[in-house]
Amino acid sequence: MKRSQNIDLGRMRKPSKAKFILRPAVLAVSAVMLAACSEPEDDAIVIYSVDDCSKQTSLDQQECETVYQNAQAEAERTGPKYNSQADCEAEFGPAQCRSNSSGMFSPLMAGFLMGRMMDIGRPSAVYQYNNPSSRYHNQIMTADGRNLGAAGQRSYKVPQSTYKAKPTVTKTVSRGGFGSSASAKSSWGSSKSSKSSGWGG
Amino acid sequence: MLRIPIDPRENWRDLADDYGFEFHTMHGEAYWDESAYYQFSLDQIEKDLEQPTEEIHQMCLEVVDQVVRDEYWLKKFCIPQAYWQWILDSWQSGDPSLYSRLDFSYDGKSPAKLYENNADTPTSLYETGFWQWLWLIDGVDQGRLSRRSDQFNSLQEKLVNRFKDLAFLTPNRVLHFACCKDTPEDRGTVTYLEDCAKEAGIEVKFVFVEDIGRDAAGRLSDDDNHVISWMFKLYPWEFMFEEQFGELLPQQNMRWLEPPWKSIISNKALLPKLWSMFPNHPNLLPAFFESELKHLSSDLAWVKKPIFSREGANIQISGQGQELASSDGPYGEEGFIYQAFHRLPKFANNHTLVGSWLVDDKAAGISIREDTNIITQDMSRYLPHIIL
Repeated sequence: MKRSQNIDLGRMRKPSKAKFILRPAVLAVSAVMLAACSEPEDDAIVIYSVDDCSKQTSLDQQECETVYQNAQAEAERTGPKYNSQADCEAEFGPAQCRSNSSGMFSPLMAGFLMGRMMDIGRPSAVYQYNNPSSRYHNQIMTADGRNLGAAGQRSYKVPQSTYKAKPTVTKTVSRGGFGSSASAKSSWGSSKSSKSSGWGG
Repeated sequence: MLRIPIDPRENWRDLADDYGFEFHTMHGEAYWDESAYYQFSLDQIEKDLEQPTEEIHQMCLEVVDQVVRDEYWLKKFCIPQAYWQWILDSWQSGDPSLYSRLDFSYDGKSPAKLYENNADTPTSLYETGFWQWLWLIDGVDQGRLSRRSDQFNSLQEKLVNRFKDLAFLTPNRVLHFACCKDTPEDRGTVTYLEDCAKEAGIEVKFVFVEDIGRDAAGRLSDDDNHVISWMFKLYPWEFMFEEQFGELLPQQNMRWLEPPWKSIISNKALLPKLWSMFPNHPNLLPAFFESELKHLSSDLAWVKKPIFSREGANIQISGQGQELASSDGPYGEEGFIYQAFHRLPKFANNHTLVGSWLVDDKAAGISIREDTNIITQDMSRYLPHIIL
């Protein structure tokens, strides 16, 4: 056979929005939402330091140092970012924030998660709300903003998605640096011809 | 190779709605045309198309290997100097490619002749990988096509498998997809590729080419200010080289689809270079640079093509001092190449072009385009095919 053996037609369907609204799918939709709520969870502990790591896990001192450094690199890359030091400290407490290379402010990493399902090369950093006036005071949060609960617990229920690769957030200084050739060439297209489809070939 | 009329499926427009195939009719003209199909023998497919497609791809890789190391050739290919080292690095580090489409003139009897290699931004992918596949399945199920009918089209399966390889080679990165605004055909192609990547377990995001941003450090960013680390762009490299953010390209810690070295073989300078490296190859047409015009026999007709051009724009066909046909377009400032004129075969008054797909280095299927004009362009109609 010279063709694809099987294509999942269900996956290929793209029902238009109008049709979707008309479909009596209330039950189906809530089933989907329930499924989303019961995402698999991992029991993870929070490691606060290299020493803490070597005491609480089977990793040796050197491995713990590596994991700790990886966690700090992840924290630098993926952590919450604020435009001003004051905004950051309002949540995380005085002297708990520092500026990064793009001129924004992030909280210091409190520690990182250690669980069965995580990737040791990419540990998830956690942060602690240390400002008594923050309504989240003493809570532990992840880089993607999920609140795990009060600090000091033996373990935390962590949704598996917390471990997924996280984007690096930055500050965009300009846009529109690509695409000018297309608009120049398509203005040619509209003046001389009725054909102006894409830029593929 | 036969062209056989057939009744269109009565409900095909409803099906197109269901599956989100929006560009079957463009500018009021039919693009998808199922009032006929082409029938090939297995021998025609395997010996005349599949095998030459993979062989020509290998020949193209040999061209890349020569051109990326040689200033003389990089200039001939009109690659700006600022990108030479970056393209060489992408080639030497083996940056993986996703797909290409070779366009052939093929009549079912004589060797297929290569017109050009769409190695950077090929489209008509969804129509090929999925839509004509569905047409075949429906035709067989409804008893309108023989149960023994097959199709040269493992494109979707191969794309998904290739994305799995790419996910392994490029771990822990979100794959951003990009195309230009106001181009439903390109957006459709990109959506299809996003679906294939998702099926392979890759996390995907979309950003319009015009909306790509940069940060103070020169990194590219999307609408959510996320740094882009891996990108599929349905937008020609040669455009990006000339644009404002182009200078940022060599300093990115990014992976690209297609990789930068594909800019060498999506370029029409490929054609004379192939001819000089593999003269008289049965699947190649004689081709020359402007500097080699003395080789152009005046007895033959020649096609003049811009070094950068898409969708049959700015093509001029002439013979014995007379222009036979030409198409308008916005290309050509960069110079031209000359390729021996080889007429497209005619089936029921249509000029027929065969697009032969590659996923990485494996032949993956064909697409048929028809035009009443001798130069097929972006509005040429798409027809399905079978093997029987």
